[in-house]
Amino acid sequence: MSLVSALNIGKSALAVHQAAIQVTSNNVANAGNTDYTRQTPHIVPASDHLYRPGVFLGSGLNLDAVQRQIDESLQARIRTSVSDNGSAASRQQWLNRVETIFHELGDDDLSSQLSTFFNSWSDLANKPQDIGLRQIVIQNGDSLAGSLRDMRTQLDGVTSDIDKRLITTAQNANSLADQVAYLNDQISSSEAGAGASANGLRDQRDAVLKKLSELMDIKTQETGDGMVNVLVGSDPLILGKTNRGVGFKIESNGTELIPKLFIKADNGTLNVTSGTLGGLLGVRAEVGGVTGEVNTLAANLIFELNKLHSSGQGLEGLSQITAGNAVADTTAALNSPDTNLDFTPNNGSFVIHVKQKGTGLVTSTLVNVDLDGLNNNDTTLDDLRASLDGINGISATISAGKLKIQSDASDVEFSFSQDSSGVLASLGINSFFKGTDAHDIAINTDLKTRPSLLSAAKNGQLGDNQSALAIAGLESAALKGLNGSTIREKYDSMINGIAVSSATSKTNAEAASTVQDTLLAQREALSGVSLDEEAVNLIKEQRAFQAAARIISAVDELMKTILNMI
Amino acid sequence: MSIIPLQLARVSNALRMNLSQRTITQTQRSLLDVQNQLSTGRRLTTPSDDPGDAAIAIQIRKLLEQRAGFEDNLKQASSHLSEVDSTLGDMTDLLRQAQTLASANVGSDVSADQRAAAAAIVSSLYNQMLSVANKQSQGVYLFAGDTGQAPFVSDQSGIRYVGSNRVLQNRFDESAVLPFMVDGNEVFGALSSRIQGTADLSPALTTGTRLADLRGATDGGVHGGAIVLSDGTTTKTVDLSTADTIGNVVNLINAAAVGGITASIAPGGAGLLLSATGADNITVTDSGGTCAADLGIVQSTPAGPGVSITGAPLNPNLTILTNLSDLRGGAGIDLSGLIITNGSKTATVDFTTATTVEDLLNRINQSGTGVLARLSDNGTGIDILNPVQGTQMTVAANGGNTAADLGVRSFDPSSLLSELNGGRGVTTVAGADIQITRRDGTNFSVDLSGLNTVQDVLAAINTADAGGGVTATFATTGNGIVLTDSTAGGSLTVSSLNASPAAADLGINASSPTGVITGADVNSVAATGIFGNLGKLREALLSSDQTGITQAAEALQKDLDRVIHFNGQVGAQVKEFEARQNRLADQNVATKAVLSGLEDTDFNEAITRFQTLQTALQANLQTTRRLLDLNLLDFLQ
Repeated sequence: MSLVSALNIGKSALAVHQAAIQVTSNNVANAGNTDYTRQTPHIVPASDHLYRPGVFLGSGLNLDAVQRQIDESLQARIRTSVSDNGSAASRQQWLNRVETIFHELGDDDLSSQLSTFFNSWSDLANKPQDIGLRQIVIQNGDSLAGSLRDMRTQLDGVTSDIDKRLITTAQNANSLADQVAYLNDQISSSEAGAGASANGLRDQRDAVLKKLSELMDIKTQETGDGMVNVLVGSDPLILGKTNRGVGFKIESNGTELIPKLFIKADNGTLNVTSGTLGGLLGVRAEVGGVTGEVNTLAANLIFELNKLHSSGQGLEGLSQITAGNAVADTTAALNSPDTNLDFTPNNGSFVIHVKQKGTGLVTSTLVNVDLDGLNNNDTTLDDLRASLDGINGISATISAGKLKIQSDASDVEFSFSQDSSGVLASLGINSFFKGTDAHDIAINTDLKTRPSLLSAAKNGQLGDNQSALAIAGLESAALKGLNGSTIREKYDSMINGIAVSSATSKTNAEAASTVQDTLLAQREALSGVSLDEEAVNLIKEQRAFQAAARIISAVDELMKTILNMI
Repeated sequence: MSIIPLQLARVSNALRMNLSQRTITQTQRSLLDVQNQLSTGRRLTTPSDDPGDAAIAIQIRKLLEQRAGFEDNLKQASSHLSEVDSTLGDMTDLLRQAQTLASANVGSDVSADQRAAAAAIVSSLYNQMLSVANKQSQGVYLFAGDTGQAPFVSDQSGIRYVGSNRVLQNRFDESAVLPFMVDGNEVFGALSSRIQGTADLSPALTTGTRLADLRGATDGGVHGGAIVLSDGTTTKTVDLSTADTIGNVVNLINAAAVGGITASIAPGGAGLLLSATGADNITVTDSGGTCAADLGIVQSTPAGPGVSITGAPLNPNLTILTNLSDLRGGAGIDLSGLIITNGSKTATVDFTTATTVEDLLNRINQSGTGVLARLSDNGTGIDILNPVQGTQMTVAANGGNTAADLGVRSFDPSSLLSELNGGRGVTTVAGADIQITRRDGTNFSVDLSGLNTVQDVLAAINTADAGGGVTATFATTGNGIVLTDSTAGGSLTVSSLNASPAAADLGINASSPTGVITGADVNSVAATGIFGNLGKLREALLSSDQTGITQAAEALQKDLDRVIHFNGQVGAQVKEFEARQNRLADQNVATKAVLSGLEDTDFNEAITRFQTLQTALQANLQTTRRLLDLNLLDFLQ
């Protein structure tokens, strides 16, 4: 035991408390940084030495470590909640946009337009010969078709915006993954052999991981050398200092476009289920579903209305008509996929009436459309043409796959009725709408120029209104193509689906944000800096430092006394 | 607003800050929501605000929109029917005037000149009636049915009805499709009630017969569906829902190849035949629907090995597309044609080149006689009607059986004597009614009292002649009783006995030097409507025929009664439509209240919430400021 040891004790105390003040000041400096983890100096007494047998004397103190006050499992839970929050928030945002497209509960929403359209048919039934009412029906049909097209365009716009967002978000995720890999490298080389943790770098890495988890649901595994491996599902994204890369592309599987997040290293699919990317993928599928439903709705409206319209008659007969839809293979049965028809006719028949305008003489002929698949005699477009051509007074030709029927003389006109096969609607003959679904639904342009061709009658009489009445009833008719639902029911259930989805996403987003805030509060309780606490520490360390300085000066006095003895 | 649980060991500065920030943001968001509700007055702006309420709101909006359509229809219908109502009132007035004229001119103190002057007034009434009959309401002819053209046109010497009995209907309720027109034919008596074809033309079943044209075995039509067919060992479900024709049904059953069972049309053409081969033990049942029952081939217990099933008759409807050769169970009809006269026009209509019922109807309708041929309402035969008021129509054989096959001969041996001469019948007297003088100068008399039909008259004449040389038959070309005398000498003469009008009533009071008397058609068909009766009144006044005037006045009284009846009916209908309108308006008030409860802001609640939130925000801001100001570092020295 010597005065020198006492002096050394004082010296170590000075150094340790100085370091502790440094830790405190670092904490104070980072008080506003939410990514910062509060650090505490771990001060331990230095080892004793034997003064004489039976007596140990202390030899001062050591700064054993500067510890980050962190709970790694809490960090993992925070990352999960951040992912959930990111997913919910993006879902809410996009569904909100989809909901706006439909603008339901407004006065000019699609459901009001459907009502207006069908009501105008009902109104036409009051005065079937009124050209003004006919024009209103056509205008309402036109604006309904326009709205459906517009809806489809906007939904497509949402999808393409989501795709753009997916691309940039995937790029963002990739650069964050790069940073994690880089920080892994840094941490591992800083900590190698030092036996201590590089707290600042680790805080940085935690911050980047949090950002990454906002984009996708990740799991981390710490390796022995201070690095973390990052997994998405069970696929490794970051292995030590290697980022395997995140990419996004849209693939076609022949019939539809499928968005895909993949790992650049091996092109494997990245199964992201949460985070902004997961939310975007989910909401993209939902928007796709809604687009599909709008299309189904439009397609059924087109086909079912055309079926009724093509079997009806206008105020004047037809002198020539060309089918709106072309048949790819005119030698294939009309219900075969080879025809490339969007709407498939079925086994049945229709009646064509040929009228001599001068005498008013009408001759009717039944045209069979044999599509029963038996006896190898199913009707092809060529067959149909031949049987129509065989009827006195009219001739039929096919050009570019489109059937054209025309009367042989100016005194002759023709009309159709009782089509049980739907072939006229499939071919687009005497139709109201043209197009296949919401993307191209439009009014038959012939009707716009000649409203008298609008079919209000069903029995060939000028003043008949049975077709108009039947079409007005279509609004509440159960349709096979909609699994027994009516057009309105289908639309309402779609709107309700979107509303529930959107409301759920709102609730989910709130819940996810509450969970995240709760966990962040817990993290703050453990890792956050309290200035009051740091002030107390500072006072404590200041006093300890002052005491250590006094010890040194006291020992110095003692040494002087000894030296003066010489 | 969600609140995060705070059970924390330490409180960091950042935590305090975050918490304040979060609560301020949330309160502001809620405030914005309430502000939006207050400024728009709407609680629901998008369906996701409250999907449950929004779904109901959307339903209610749909209901209101639909009702707006019904309201429009009701208004249109009311206005149309009110127009009809007032028109029927006008008609009542016109008819009353005509009657007054008739009664004023029936007495013996009225001169022919005065009657001629009255006839001129009747002419004017007639013309007024014609313009009333062709009245339109907003472009729709009141009495035209669905033909969409002026229903009454001048034709020959009368008024021809070209309207139809199919009146327009529209939807006035979710479930109510109701007519909003009256049948012009019924109001004006515009069509003759005859000739309703008496023959059931029962077309034969062919492979081309459409299922939609069948009345079916149960008389309810044929509904597509699946049937379960078994031969005792193999059972298959055969889906017939794609079948359009009987041929399709036959093909589908044959394609199913259940044992050796084959389907075909039964000989005789009434129904289907399922033939068993070998030991096939046939059962047929329905699979959920009524298809097998409708097709009349249900066999729920095995028929027995090798036993075929003959289905029940399927009763195809007569349509315009039916082939003439398929009529009468496949026997077809005689095509020799008809002789049709109407007023002054006569046409011989030949069917030898006609193949379908439509051809046949076309030939008749295009014959230039102005008669109307159409399918009968019950779909079993054809009717030939006289749509011209003021002319007489006859339909006679053209040397063949066409008229008889179709059951459309206006006068034939089975005609009841009581219905001849426009319902006046054949008047007989006590004792003999007619005397027939043979060419050889001999004669015989016939008592026609108590006879029923024309056939009875023929028999009575032939019996009375007792082989004296005169034969009474019915004409094979044209309509009428034909008397043929095989003796020679002078003329064959039919004359009246005991002042009996029977010979004239039978159309045979004639004399023939050639020995053949061809009687007239005394059962001609007329449309006895308003125009016909006004015409008769005019003729009677012109010819100063008092009996005629009285008869016309009686007929006009019937017309008047009918018109008044319709007037009352239409008035009631207008009332009903108005009541429906009122009901709808009342319902709308209630429904709109429900909608408002769902969609609109509850201002009391919203304002209270606004206040609360405002207070909360204020408290929040104040505490935050105080807390963040407080720091121990300030106390360091």
